[in-house]
Parts: sequence; C-alpha cells; structure tokens
Amino acid sequence: MSTTAPRGLTDEVLSELRDVVGEEHLLVDKPARMHRARVPAPFPVHRWARHVPDAVVLPACTDEVAAVIGVANRFGVPVVPRCGGTGLTDGAVPLRHGILLDVKRLQYIGDIDTENRTCVVGAGVNMLKLNEVLGRYGLFYPDDPASYPCSLVGGRIGTSGWSLIGSRYGHTRDLVLSFLHVLPTGEVVRIGEGGGQRISKSSSGYQMKQLFMGHQGTLGVATEATLKLYPKPAAEFSPFWAFEDYDSAYQTVRALAQADVATFAGAVLFDEQKVAYLRRDDEAYIPQPAEVRALVCSALYGNEDEVTVGARRLMRVARSLGARYLGDEISQGDWAARHDRYATPLHGRTKAGQAVPMSWHCEDAAVNWSRLPAVRDSWHRIVGDLRARSDVFDDWGMFAYTSARTGVDYLTEIDVGIWEQELDDERWEMWVQAKREIARVAVAHGGSISACHGSCREGEVDVVPEELGGAYEVMRAIKRTLDPGNILNPGKYGLDGAFEEDRT
Amino acid sequence: MSTAPPNPQGPAGDVATQQFVEQWRNAAYNCYSSGHKFCREVCPVTQVTRNESWTPTAFHANVVAMEQGELSVEDVAADFVNCTGCGACELRCPNTLFTGDFYRFRTRTVDLVKAARALAVDRGIHQPGWRRWNSLTDERRHEPVLGETPIDQAHVADWADDLDLPIGGETVLFVDCEAAFYRTSVPRAVAQILALAGFDFGLMREQWCCGGPAAEMGYLEQAKRFARHNLEDWRAVGARRIIVLDPHDYITFTEDYPTYFGEEYDDIEIVLAVELFAELIRDGRLTPSVPVERTVTYHDPCRLNKRKGIWKQPREILGAIPGLDFRDVDRVTQWSYCSGGGGGLPVEKPELTAAISGRRMERAAELEVDTLVSACPWSERPLSAAGEDRGIDVVDIHELLAASLGIQVDGRSGR
Repeated sequence: MSTTAPRGLTDEVLSELRDVVGEEHLLVDKPARMHRARVPAPFPVHRWARHVPDAVVLPACTDEVAAVIGVANRFGVPVVPRCGGTGLTDGAVPLRHGILLDVKRLQYIGDIDTENRTCVVGAGVNMLKLNEVLGRYGLFYPDDPASYPCSLVGGRIGTSGWSLIGSRYGHTRDLVLSFLHVLPTGEVVRIGEGGGQRISKSSSGYQMKQLFMGHQGTLGVATEATLKLYPKPAAEFSPFWAFEDYDSAYQTVRALAQADVATFAGAVLFDEQKVAYLRRDDEAYIPQPAEVRALVCSALYGNEDEVTVGARRLMRVARSLGARYLGDEISQGDWAARHDRYATPLHGRTKAGQAVPMSWHCEDAAVNWSRLPAVRDSWHRIVGDLRARSDVFDDWGMFAYTSARTGVDYLTEIDVGIWEQELDDERWEMWVQAKREIARVAVAHGGSISACHGSCREGEVDVVPEELGGAYEVMRAIKRTLDPGNILNPGKYGLDGAFEEDRT
Repeated sequence: MSTAPPNPQGPAGDVATQQFVEQWRNAAYNCYSSGHKFCREVCPVTQVTRNESWTPTAFHANVVAMEQGELSVEDVAADFVNCTGCGACELRCPNTLFTGDFYRFRTRTVDLVKAARALAVDRGIHQPGWRRWNSLTDERRHEPVLGETPIDQAHVADWADDLDLPIGGETVLFVDCEAAFYRTSVPRAVAQILALAGFDFGLMREQWCCGGPAAEMGYLEQAKRFARHNLEDWRAVGARRIIVLDPHDYITFTEDYPTYFGEEYDDIEIVLAVELFAELIRDGRLTPSVPVERTVTYHDPCRLNKRKGIWKQPREILGAIPGLDFRDVDRVTQWSYCSGGGGGLPVEKPELTAAISGRRMERAAELEVDTLVSACPWSERPLSAAGEDRGIDVVDIHELLAASLGIQVDGRSGR
C-alpha cells in the first residue's frame, strides 16, 4: 500500500461519485475544495493550498456515505470526513488530498423519545439548534464545547469532545448512547453499548464506543447518533470570584470541585496572564482594581431546590479561601457569553503594544490538579520564549477547567495569539517545535497531550507515541486491521507508519 | 493594524482586485483567524444548503485566498450570490459582539459581499439573472416585478388612483417597486393611515427605483444614477422628509445615499412608516379600535431587526391592535430567521428563497398561528407562497393596522 495517493481523481472515480450523490452534490471547483481544507487557524494559513482535496461530496444519508467510502476503497483513494470543521487539531484537513466527505447535509432531528429521554440526530446537527427544538419538550442535550454555536454532533463524535459543563453531565462519550458508523471498508455498523441503540451501560461484547470516538476520522464516519437527554435545567448559578494571586484561585478551584455539590457543572480558573489579556479591552475586567490578578468561575445546573443550597455551599467555600464575588451582573453576563468572549483576534499585540489581527490558537492537555502550577510555569516559559524571538506570537494566558465533579483532573489550556499575516516557514517551525515542547511537558507531568482537541496536529503528533507507549502499537494494529487500504484520513496520527512496516 | 502590502505572489496585475484585497484583508484575517464560525447557524443560506462555500466565513476567507493568488474574483463571483444581506452573521460575530466598540471594528459581511459583487461586475463577470434584472430596471426605471400592473413610469402610482394624493410638498411618500406594482395594499394602507392622522404628504413627480437592489447586485453606476434622479426629484418638489414603508428602501436611503451624496444630503430626513405609526399610537393620534380576530406571530424583517435594531416599534403597533392573539418570538431568536427575499437571491436562486421562506414558515406553524405579520413587502411574496402550504396567511403590519383603524384598504394584497 502506498502511503501517498496520487493527486487528482480519474474520470471513472468522479463518475462513480456522481452516481452516488448526484451532480449537484459533487463539487470539484477550486473554491469549494479550498473551503473544505480550512479549519481554525493556524493550520497554517500560509500553507493552505497544500491541503486542498481533489473533490468534495455532500452525501444526504448513511447509505450515500457508505457508497462513497466503497468507491474510495475500490480505487484506493483517500477519503477525509468533515463535519463542522471547527476542530483544533486538523482532523478535517485532508493531508493526502483525495475525496473530502462533508456530512453537514445530515442535519435531521428525529425520534425525540420523551419517555426514555433520547433523540436521534444526523451527524450534521448543531447542538445549539438541537436545543432550540428540544426546549419545546423541556429537554436539553448538554454537550457544551467552546464551539457550541457552530460545531456539529458528528465532529463531536469524531474528536470525542469535551464539554464545559461535563462535570455535571459528562462529555460527548457519555452523552452519545450509540451511533451508526461507516467503517473504512464501507460497512455500516451500530456502535454503542452492546447492541443497544438507547442503552447507557452494557457489558456485552468488547466495549467499542470509545474506540470509535476521537479517532479523528481515521476509523470511519459516524452518520447518525442517538443521544442521552436531560431535563432542561430550571435553575442556573454561575458565580465569578476575584483573587489577588494565582495560588488562592488555584486552591479555591479544587475546593469547589471537591465540595461534593451534586449540581456542580464545572469550575474554571483564569490565571494572571489570562486576566491581564482580558484587561486589554474587556469592560468587565478593566474597572477591577489592579490587585485582581486571577479569577475563578463556576456553574451549577439543576432544579431550583438543589441549585439554591448548592450555591450557598459554594459561596461559603469560596469566601473561606479569600474569594471576592464579582456580583450578579458580571457573573451572569460573563457566563452567558462564555462561548464568545475569551479569544478575539482584535486583542493581538506586538511587544511594542501595536494591535495586530492575530489568530487564536489553543494548546490543551489533561493534567491532575497537583501538577497544574508546574505545567503552567513551563508553558508560559515556552510561549514567552517564542514571543521574545518573534512578534508573531503573543501569550494570551491560561485556563484550567474541571473535567469531573471529583476534581480528579483538569483540562488546562494556554491560548496563543499568532499573527498569521506575518507567519512564514521559519516562524512556523518555531511554533511546531514549541508545540512538541508543550506536549512533552504534559506527558512528563503524568498527563495527556489533550483533554479536548485531539493530538494530531503537526508538532504534538510526534509526542503521541511517547505518551501512549505500547498502546500506540495497538492503535497501529487496529488501524491496519480496520482500514487495510489506509483509505480513511491517511497521514493522521503518524498511522502511515503502520503500513510502511507491512511493506518492509 | 498591519499595513503590510498583500503577498507579492498574490493577485497579479488587476488593480481593482488588489484594492479590494487591501481594503478587506484585515477584516478577512480577523474572521479567518478567530475560527469561531458562530455566524454559520444563523445564516439563512447556510441553514438550507449546508454548503461551506456559502457561509459568511467563506466570504471572508475568499479574500485571503485572493491575496494568496489562489483564487480570483472569477472563481468566487457565483459563490457571492448566496447571501440575502440579512446581517445576522455580523450580529453573531464575537468580534463585533464583544470587542468591536473598543477597537472601532465591526464585522461587515454585507458590505464585503456588496463590494465583491461590484468587483465582479467591474471585471465584466455577470450573473445572468442579475444582469437581466438590472437591464430591465434601467429600461423601465423600476424593478421588473411580476404582477398584473405593467412595469413602467406611467403606472408607478396606479396604486393611488382613487386616493387623490398631491404631487410634491415638504413630505413625500416613497413606495418601493414591489409595493407599487405588486402588493399595492401596503402603500394604500400607509397612505390612508397618514391621511387619517392628518399628515400632509405627496408623491414624487417621477419616482424611480431607489437603486438599492442594483447596488446589492454589484451594478453601482446604475444605482448611483437612479439615486441622483430621485434626489433631484425630491429637490424639485421641495421635499425635505421622505417617508418609506419598505425596509430595503430605508437601508438604501440611510446607508447608500449618504455615501453617494455626502453633505449635499444632510438636510433630507428619512422616516420609516412603522416607527412613525408607533409614535402616533403612543401620542394618541392613532387609536386602533376595530378588533382583529387573528392568531398572529411577527416576522422581524432582517433589515429592520438585524441591520437597524428596529424591533420594538412593530411590537408596539401589534400590542395596540385589539383582538389579536399575538404569539411573539424574541428578536434575538429571529436573528436566524429570514424570508430569503433580499440581496437579489430570489432573482438568481428562487429555489433557495423558497427553501428559506419554507423554513421560516415552519417556525411560525409551530406556534399554531393563522397569520404571519411582516413589515417588509419583499418578504411577503415568498412567505405567502410558503404559507399557502400550511394555511397561514401573510399580512403586512400596515394592512393590519389600517384594518384596526377602520380603513377599507383595497388594492392587491397578494392573497
């Protein structure tokens, strides 16, 4: 098996694809292909043209998806699944060109089962839009990433997404009960708990659900998901507290997570660099006195009775550790704006203070609470060094979010502004090297390279074998077994290596 | 902001394209770089097509690709058709929502789309439907709306035949092409309400199309020529105040004309009928008293709600009409609603307009209403077509108010 597919598709392949999806939904014009290579920057923009697919197909149903993958297999052509294209690890970027399989047209919402609180949706459905519909039934689907207003259910499965309120409701892996999955060879199977469509816990057979989530499109395509729903919460409490130093905020975030409040949906720690970054222009924080250097926010969701007493408890815990409540207006406003507020290209600054349009990039990791300060110090040092060497980079501070109600581990992230207009190959190499270092820090502290995005972008991906050790060989064996032709999203996660060994 | 020149490998030779790229590159990078794409699910075209090339972020990314020399306006001109100019994306953009004021920056997708369409026309790239539409408009002085009334200057005021309206005066009522030739019940309602409230107003000597549609489709020279004619007609009859009933005219007169005419236009006051009528009701000069027994919801016209922030006054009017069972949907939810009737979309892609209107009408049907009230004649035709399938009537807010004021409106309502 060749690890690099030939460029361009033959007329025969195009003709078969046309037969599957129809003329209207086979796109070969350059703008259509370029727009399906694009993900949030930097992937990087100055190398955009290198990752353009040869053709785009827009299937309307699972059968069409399966047929497209069948065509790809017959002709040995790469096929790259793409849903919202909002992921931060380039899962939807076609590294080897080929067929781009865009599933956004699978946007139906069906079978809302109010008795068992489940629903069935196509992979192209957005969570915010889904919740507009579920709201009429008093239900909601609590998968709440930063990209909540635009990311789509299929991509959440393909990346095994992380949710801001996952400490209460779980993350995508917990909320998706089962899904229809097209394997790399084109067969359609249901992946869930045992063989059930609406079962949340089974011990029957291998537990495959997690294997087929978060593979970044290397093991197939989810086309339709059955979701676990919750009652739409009647009450929400979202306090923001200020601190004079990072350490007090750091102690508080653990105390909140460990306060054993059942409606606790999450807590977020803003470090000193993050607060300084927001102060560049944020009306909520500019008026705060200079001694405010770190913030913590939390959120409780549930019924009125439980949220009210839980809120009292959290306020007591926070106060005992020196927190100052920022008041209802900032708290409610900032929480409501959580998807919009914290990363904007307009905040970019050169070292001389010039405002320049910078892209937001976020490096995340999963880390235990006790290691957060050490990881934070190392990461700021790495990004500080980048900034010292080039005005293209800017440190936008760090967050740490609870991943679970026990406070066992945290998603921590460093946000980095990158001035794309000035990016070139030399600075890109600096960035890629920094990403390797950032990933190695997480691994060295017993963490994982990513809690949320995945780890197959340039730089970080080199560290994945180091992180997984012997399990990386298992990953390669699985890829070889399920995708013998290396058709699905080739080039990701270094999995081409699995096939090179075969050849030798 | 960076003043670095575009990529030297970028758009070659063509000065107009280079100027376009230079003007929009920072806005394009601000959009491209933020990577949020929050605009996507509020975009009416994206909602019905799921086509990633037809999204507000793609329109911005095209500028980056043009700067890189990867795409030209020839490549993307047809993609830029797929925008109704509703402005939802601008409101939903995090850059506008939270930091725009501080940096004096605003995401301006609608202007970007207009500029790209004008660049295409400037480079001799035409969309067949738009070319024909504007050519007929140029010939007849009015848009070639389909209907029973012949489209020409002789018939532009036929709607007012029995209303005995004077020509000219300090206040002039401007009636958009769709209302003047097709949905004539709207101008008849507005004119009679004005008369009831004791307003002195007249019509133009020779009203031409406002020029807004030509500007939206990229035919700038024609748009400016039509604007100049209208301004001169207003001057000739001594008009200082122009009452408009159509949100599209309101945008054209308050956004395009000032850029065409500058200070010369400063003394012209543009009054929106909906705002005026809400004020008259508030002041007790109009008192709707005839009950209207309908179960209604209100469609926020994009150009009022999303582009001008006018959402309160129509609700004041509806709140004053007795007998209505008004099932409202808040203005922010309506950011993602649209009729699909704007931005020239129905001329080039009537099937998309129909799909967008169909989706809007689905939302109305969920409220179990018998009537959808709009305040935009251009939305009312596609919405009426979508409403027919569901047994939902589409009524203009001016028609409804007139009925509650006891006015026998007459004219053609499109029903």
